[in-house]
Amino acid sequence: MSAAALPVRRRGHRLGTRGAALCFIAPAVLVLLGVYLGPMLYALKASFTGWVMVMPGSENDLVGFDNYTDVLRSREFWTAVRVTIVYALSSITGGLILGTCLALLLNLDFFWRGFFRAIMIIPMVITPSVIGIFFKLLYEQEDGVFNHVLASLGLPKVAWLSLTNALPSMIVMDVWQTTPFFMLVILAGLHSIDENLIDAAKVDGTSPWQMFRFILLPHLLPYMLIAAAFRCIAAMGDFDKIWLLTGGGPGDRTTTMTIFTYKTGFSSFDIGRTTAIAWIFVVIVLAVSSPLLRYLFKTAQADR
Amino acid sequence: MAQFKPRRFSRRTVKLALTALWCAIAFLYLFPYVWMVLTGIRQPVDTLAMRFIFTPTLDGFRTIFFETGFQRYMLNSALVAIPSTLLVVAVAAPSAYALTQLRMRGNIFLVAILVARMVPGIALLIPIYLTASYAGLLDTRLVLIVIYTAFNLPFAIWLLRGFFREVPAEVREAAIIDGCTEFRVFRSMMLPLLTGGMVATGVFVFIAAWNEFLFALALTQSRAATAPLSVVGFRNEYGVQWAAIGAAAVMISTPVVAFAVVMQRYLVRGLTMGSVKG
Repeated sequence: MSAAALPVRRRGHRLGTRGAALCFIAPAVLVLLGVYLGPMLYALKASFTGWVMVMPGSENDLVGFDNYTDVLRSREFWTAVRVTIVYALSSITGGLILGTCLALLLNLDFFWRGFFRAIMIIPMVITPSVIGIFFKLLYEQEDGVFNHVLASLGLPKVAWLSLTNALPSMIVMDVWQTTPFFMLVILAGLHSIDENLIDAAKVDGTSPWQMFRFILLPHLLPYMLIAAAFRCIAAMGDFDKIWLLTGGGPGDRTTTMTIFTYKTGFSSFDIGRTTAIAWIFVVIVLAVSSPLLRYLFKTAQADR
Repeated sequence: MAQFKPRRFSRRTVKLALTALWCAIAFLYLFPYVWMVLTGIRQPVDTLAMRFIFTPTLDGFRTIFFETGFQRYMLNSALVAIPSTLLVVAVAAPSAYALTQLRMRGNIFLVAILVARMVPGIALLIPIYLTASYAGLLDTRLVLIVIYTAFNLPFAIWLLRGFFREVPAEVREAAIIDGCTEFRVFRSMMLPLLTGGMVATGVFVFIAAWNEFLFALALTQSRAATAPLSVVGFRNEYGVQWAAIGAAAVMISTPVVAFAVVMQRYLVRGLTMGSVKG
């Protein structure tokens, strides 16, 4: 029933449903245009100039695609891409495996389940900058807790943040923080499973492994994929934890795309080059997220 | 099951064993957090000696509050996170309503929301920094409020869309036939029905706004600096101020941790609604 069809003279009605809908979305549209589209276009324009902060007037030097070709030819850029891929893929794999195990364990019958679920989500919400600085303390070579535990077990101390170990240590920190996210999504998947299917399988004498492999896993797979896709996009944008744990170092061993962009922008103030990196980064992120975007768009259309 | 396999342990024993297992898992997993809290209430000597049993002290808290003006950071965080949360919900709720109940097609709007949600913050940092600097808004709480509102908006609209979808269309149709305007239907019928959804959305936005670091780092200096930035100062060239850093970590993370534990139901609901269908 369309409101516009009713012959009642009230302000809201004269506007019609469509008019009202436009009024309802107007504030959000303004915010999106002002804080997303505006800056993005500004950055696009800047990326075609040779603008360096310390050189007034350089913002008008048009250099065409020079910034883009320079960046794509630089070794630092490809190192950052490689580090980002290793970081995102390893931490997702770790979080997914650990999260699934914890979700399966949490789905069993034991005392104080609600309490355990509540405390297990704590790492997910702790301020990431606090996590970054605290893991740095935990990883300290002399005074750190991890090395203290190793020493008390009679094992040699580990240089956690050295050239070879910094990236794995950073991944461990990220897995620690993001495991609850995977656990909660997979728990939601476990709750939505058909009880009859489980009971039928039990009657047929299915072993626990078969139960997981042939009944639970196929059911959980879509949940795992969606959680992994969301986490992948978030991991590419991670900044605070990494910045405070390693600052991108030693050297550029832990310099992800985000850290690389930040360093370029706030050390050299080379605006043209930084905005070009930012745009390349946006294109990469959108390409990676396109399957998820398409999926979300389709579900949104289907349930309207 | 019982007739196929002889049951060796009683159900209660299994439950007790699993509970014990979970105590061990929770302790190991939460160890870094426990350690952080302990560091805040311990003398540095006890921290360095890895003692679990010690005389608690509030020296760390005394240092941060009386020597570093830590309360200013906390106040800034509260004065940025709370207005952002309220603004996001106020702006997101009408759009989510329009997208669901008013059957607006709005495909472009939907795509814009989804794409905006994926764009990494760092890509917007330089242009926003330059604009804020021209506008004289660097180091103000206002610029952080505007940015946090915008950054959390796409997710909030998406989440609230899921909650509005659950309200039957008849609610609105009946009210319209009775002569209510669209605005009145929204304000006096939809909003009361959506309290749970708005709380769930608010929980997420508050946590995200409280925890944000990158834009706070780039856009503020001293006046508007938020709590997550304050930890940086306690680890400097003079060494690590163990008690102070622990106390600051506890102070910064406690609001969000307490919030998440208390609002757990909403957090879980929002998470499943926002990622997979709830």
